[in-house]
Amino acid sequence: MTQTMTPTSATTSFESLAIGDTIAGTPFAPTRETIREFCDASLDYNPLHWDDAYMKGNFGKTSFGGIIMHGMTNFGILTKMLTDWLYPMGGVHRRLETRWKAPVKPGDTIVPTGTITAKKETAGSRWAVIAVEIKNQHGTTIAQGEAMAEFPPAR
Amino acid sequence: MGHASERTVDRTAAPKVAVDFWADEKNRKMWDDIVPGAPRKTVPYVLTREAIQAYCRSVGDLHPLYMDEDYAAASPYGGLIAPPSIHILLMFACTPMDDWMRSPGTVNAGQSWSYNLPARPGDTIRMDARALDKFIRKDRLFVIHDNVFFNQNDDVICSGRGWTIRPM
Repeated sequence: MTQTMTPTSATTSFESLAIGDTIAGTPFAPTRETIREFCDASLDYNPLHWDDAYMKGNFGKTSFGGIIMHGMTNFGILTKMLTDWLYPMGGVHRRLETRWKAPVKPGDTIVPTGTITAKKETAGSRWAVIAVEIKNQHGTTIAQGEAMAEFPPAR
Repeated sequence: MGHASERTVDRTAAPKVAVDFWADEKNRKMWDDIVPGAPRKTVPYVLTREAIQAYCRSVGDLHPLYMDEDYAAASPYGGLIAPPSIHILLMFACTPMDDWMRSPGTVNAGQSWSYNLPARPGDTIRMDARALDKFIRKDRLFVIHDNVFFNQNDDVICSGRGWTIRPM
């Protein structure tokens, strides 16, 4: 099948991994159709994501002014970035924590990136900590967080 | 904005599926009613290859471990798996219609997940779920929830916490 792999850092193993190495994710451009596709695929039919009339209201102190992409789509595209990077090295995606900083709307283009911030060898395995971020086409930070990957030693 | 039931719903915009966030709304707990620590009712869910692949397409993640049976069979995973983020689907798939997580206007403020084993097509998934905490910050009502997903062998697939802003 056709598979477009994400361009990523030159890292090929835990040994060659360096603090400050970066990971480039695949840009994602949500549309009303992709947001609806995510509703169907995730079973998350919160009207925030499909009901324009509902979205004309205010949510506490927040007004979105129209439907927004699911926050968890950010989680999905960050996961793709991490697994595209890890699978060829035999690495395992172990943890992802994110906070949403700004909503994403149809027509935006968002890009995930990662930066290695720490490496750690424990009694049983080897780990890397990765700062992750998503920005939109205006450079606005959409999501920030941290991931952790395991590089099991050869047995 | 006011309570969601006070407004007129544009039903023509509603998804043409059984899953409707407005249904069962009166049965759902508001922030006041949520008891941190109390287990939430959940329903088991059989994860299919079709559901995994529909999710993958929706986030543009077409890795052959999820999409290509031959590739996956020859990989260290020995067969098709779901991406780690499949808990996005599993959370709603295992959540009954009258659960507060489905309240219209629930805003996701952040999530934290740990991954143990991949879910696979054909797995019967069970979710253990509860609210862990609730608080008021910047005039908003927050709940922290806690979910753990297990497969049919009682192996943990993944566990996570989420922060949501509750509708008022």
